[in-house]
Amino acid sequence: MKSQRKTWNDPVLVAAVMPLALVMLVFFLIPLAMTVVLTFQTTQYYRLNWTWDLKIWTEIFSKPHYWTIMLRTVGMALICVAISVVIAYPAAYALTTRLKTYNTQIQILIIFAFLTDAVLKTFGWILVLDRNGVANWLLSYLGFGPEALDILFTPTGTMIGMVYNLAVYPMFTIYLSLARLDRDLILASYDAGASRIRTFFEVTLPLSKPGLYSGAVLVFVLSLGAFLEPKVLGGGTSPLASELIRQSFETRVNWPLGAALTIVLIAIGALTLALAAGFVFRRTPSRRGEPA
Amino acid sequence: MATPIIDASQIIKDYGRVRALHGVSLEVGAGEFVALVGPSGCGKTTLLKILAGFEEATDGLLEIEGRDMRGVPAAQRPTRMVFQKLALFPHKTVAQNIGFPLKLQKVDPAEIDRRVRSMLELMHLNIAYLDRFPAQLSGGEQQRVALARALVSQPGVLLLDEPMSALDAKLKKSLQAELKKLHREIGTSFVLVTHDLEEAMMLADKICVMRSGHVVQTGTPTDIYYRPANMFVAGFIGETNFLPVDVAPAGNGGMTVSSSLASGAPAVIAPGNVSEFLGAGSKSLLIRPESITFVKGEPGPETWTLSGVVDEYFIKGSSTQYRIRVAGLEAPVVMDLPGSFELAADVDQEVRIGFEPARAFLLSE
Repeated sequence: MKSQRKTWNDPVLVAAVMPLALVMLVFFLIPLAMTVVLTFQTTQYYRLNWTWDLKIWTEIFSKPHYWTIMLRTVGMALICVAISVVIAYPAAYALTTRLKTYNTQIQILIIFAFLTDAVLKTFGWILVLDRNGVANWLLSYLGFGPEALDILFTPTGTMIGMVYNLAVYPMFTIYLSLARLDRDLILASYDAGASRIRTFFEVTLPLSKPGLYSGAVLVFVLSLGAFLEPKVLGGGTSPLASELIRQSFETRVNWPLGAALTIVLIAIGALTLALAAGFVFRRTPSRRGEPA
Repeated sequence: MATPIIDASQIIKDYGRVRALHGVSLEVGAGEFVALVGPSGCGKTTLLKILAGFEEATDGLLEIEGRDMRGVPAAQRPTRMVFQKLALFPHKTVAQNIGFPLKLQKVDPAEIDRRVRSMLELMHLNIAYLDRFPAQLSGGEQQRVALARALVSQPGVLLLDEPMSALDAKLKKSLQAELKKLHREIGTSFVLVTHDLEEAMMLADKICVMRSGHVVQTGTPTDIYYRPANMFVAGFIGETNFLPVDVAPAGNGGMTVSSSLASGAPAVIAPGNVSEFLGAGSKSLLIRPESITFVKGEPGPETWTLSGVVDEYFIKGSSTQYRIRVAGLEAPVVMDLPGSFELAADVDQEVRIGFEPARAFLLSE
């Protein structure tokens, strides 16, 4: 089979790629480069000095405080991914299998919840998680004693908010994967003698992996930048990276430090994703290879 | 007849208020190749799904290998299915696909490997394909992998749901030939669902023609072609001509027929050429295109003739087909003559055509 080889010598292809390349350049690569450039400057009396030295980087690598926050951020993000996926998978599975009749209505409700402003939703959780909030009222009514739940302004509170705001992403990506799954494949598995559980692990789960992975990546990337939840529900007691970066830029007006922390966060995020991708693709047999 | 492998009787299937199967019965003997044929929506696929265990019959009795199949899930039935779209697992290699039923039976991996390889050989598939993924194979090769997966655990019955409908004509022909040969070699019972009666005739020992949830006729391919139950079955394969006739019983169990459209003496149709399903409705003679000729000069005493005008002709190489418009007949009469250098008649030319009614088949609508 003759395959069309795409090369940079093809002027039409280059022209077709240009708009996207331009957008990426202007809105992604150039700002990123500017951020990197910024890390080599210093500030004095709230003013930026074009100095070109490694002062900021020395500071970052000598203060464990920054790294504690970075690692906490990545840790929170990973936990958030795990919880979101565990919640989203059964929900998406139910949408494609059991709840087919009300599928559309449920999807509309989820989209409503999704489109509601995150600030509103996050503040809404305060009403629920507050010492005198709905959750405690309900728990005490059920006989768990007064103020059984004390998680507002703790990392747990942050996590609840993050999962609540982000779980909808994997719900949709997994739903799309499952909805695209050919029903005949499930029947073929039953026909070959597989039980329902076996079929899930042999056919359904492997074939919904694209949705699972893309959902996980979305949650991971978005929770690395989680800003609202740690502030509103975490109470600022254990800040995450985005809060640290905000402080560097706004409160301390130390732009080089903020830029450097941003680069560190991006690097850690990219590294984690690369490791995860390596782990995933090492265990999946290659599908490449030319047909005879 | 020995006990059948599949014994389905009076199967009824309702989808909500719609009845898809109206009490269908089917027997499949050991090693028999049965084809379920009919137009879309006739219930043939529903019946196959009930056999496979993907659908539960609303009513009726189904026994496979002597066991009552009520409440037995697909996974525990001695049937294996080849799906219309094959349903090969895209994330599994060819070897994993074929070996999947054995893996589920907890067969030893070395034994699985051995049997997968022997299936590959049986299906004339390259050994190098073992580690390929289905998407890397051609349509015909995927077909064989699907067959191999269905046959590897030596099922009692192989169910085929129009597995060749997606293939191009040439590949289809060669796979049909292979399928027939395979059936002869392994001796498993095959049940094939198809809307292509020609395919069914080529492959099956027994054909079951279905229409809107009923079985119209069950019989050998020869029965279906030469002794169709009614005009629906007759019209299902090849070209057909129907000539409306009046009938009267003849002494020997045959029928005396006469027609106002054709000129010729009333003829007697032998009992063997009268449909056993002959009903009270209007009756017609079935005349296949190859039994009609042009008549020049005086016709023989046994021949009926019709006058008409050539509507169109088609040169097919080995034969030439003429379509003749005859006053009083809705559809033009189709006739096939052996191919020759010269045309026997041109368009719009007035012609006389003839056939021997004693060699036609009498049926009702």
